[in-house]
Formats: sequence, C-alpha cells, structure tokens
Amino acid sequence: MDYYFLLFAIMAVGAGIFTITVKDALPSALGLLTVFIALAALYLHLHAPLIAIFQVSIYAGAILVLVVFVIMLLITPDEALETAQKNISYRAMGAILGVYLIALLIIGLKGINQLVAQKSLPEGFGKPSQIGDLFFRKYILHFEISSVLLLVALVAAIYLAKKRA
Amino acid sequence: MAGINDYIILSCILFGLGVIGFLTRRNALILFMSVELMLNSINLMLVAFSASMADMGGQVMVLFIFAVAAAEVAVGLAILICLFKHAKSVDVNRFNLLKW
Repeated sequence: MDYYFLLFAIMAVGAGIFTITVKDALPSALGLLTVFIALAALYLHLHAPLIAIFQVSIYAGAILVLVVFVIMLLITPDEALETAQKNISYRAMGAILGVYLIALLIIGLKGINQLVAQKSLPEGFGKPSQIGDLFFRKYILHFEISSVLLLVALVAAIYLAKKRA
Repeated sequence: MAGINDYIILSCILFGLGVIGFLTRRNALILFMSVELMLNSINLMLVAFSASMADMGGQVMVLFIFAVAAAEVAVGLAILICLFKHAKSVDVNRFNLLKW
C-alpha cells in the first residue's frame, strides 16, 4: 500500500464524515472543499492531470463558491438552524441503509479487477492534448449538447432566482 | 502502488457517506453537498477505471459530469433560494406543500 494513496484517502474519508456530521452549513462546505482537494491529488496519481486541474478550478473554485454564496444569502444569524432531530428513527434508518449500501457495493465490486485486465498505459496517456483530441473528434456532439445544457441551466437559474415568490 | 480495488473501496465509502448524509440531514444545503459528494465518488471511480483499462473515455466522461454538476448546482441553488423565499427556512421538513 503506498502512502500517497493512503494519506489522501484518509483525508477524503475523514473530511467526508466531517461534511455530513457537522452542525452548520459553512463548516460542512469547508469539509467538502477538503474532499475535493484530496480527490484532485488522487487524480494526479491516476494519470489524469487535466481532471485534477478541473477538479480544483470547477469544483473547489466555482461550485463551492456558489454554495458558500447561497449559504451567506440564506442563513441569517438569528435563525435557529437544524434543531435537534426529534425523530431518531430517521437517523438510525439512514445510517443503517448507508452502511448496508457501502458493504453491498464493496462486496459487489471487490473482484472486478479479475475482470478488467490491468493494462500498461500508452505513451502520453491523460495529456490534455489527447483529451482535447477526443473531445473535438469523437465526442463533439456530446460537447455541443453539454454546452446547450449549460445555457439552459443559466437561463433557468436566472429566471428562478428573479421570480417573486 | 495502490490497485484498482483500493480506489473502488474509497469510492464506495465516499458514495455511502453521501447517501448517509442525504438520508439523515435536514438542512437543504447539506443535502446538496451530500449529492456533490456522491457525484465526486463516481468521478473517482471513472478515473480509476480509465487508468486501469488504459482508456481515455473515462476521463472525457468525467468532464461531462463536471458540466452536468455545474448545471445541477446552478438550478438547484436557484430552486433553494425560491424555497427559502417561500418558507423562510432551509429545513427540508418544512417543505411539505405536497403533503395533505
């Protein structure tokens, strides 16, 4: 087991637990930021430098800033948020279902590396130029569709946020 | 060198944490962040398989997931702001318009 993976895996899982257990939304967002950074480091380890850069700039940059902005807009200091969950059965049920799901996924996927052969990586694997080549040749239609999706989301977000409730 | 199994286990744990957070919390913003956690665990698995099978398609897929996640966050947070204007709270138990 190499220490690079272990370090960032423990960091990701610890920050993930922090994200879902902490009381307030803002520390939770900071925990999520830590998860994103740890995953970016793991992407570097997996020969995906472009994904690592985008992870930091899109997720840790844009998306998390948006979330923090909304937290700032919505949470007024005098509001009592997330009072103690009265019904304990929700928490117990959620935790049991989640742990069951983790176990099921791990058992189900444990032997998969016998199915997928570990191939040696070709020269220049994961370089941005190769990804760009795939993007603009093989996946050009998907690329255009995702740009339309982003445009629709932009219009919808502005419409919803400006509407008087 | 960490094998694909280690990445799969890490990804499963992160996905499960997202599910637990989504099922147990009531703050709508934290539910949102749990969904982001699940999306990220799937990205990790895609990149791990991409490296394991020496196929760049997985990495391109992750970039598309980034686009979808950005759209989802923009629309979702706008909906959240609307709900907040309506209910003056981000507690999901208060959003019970469809309940009778």
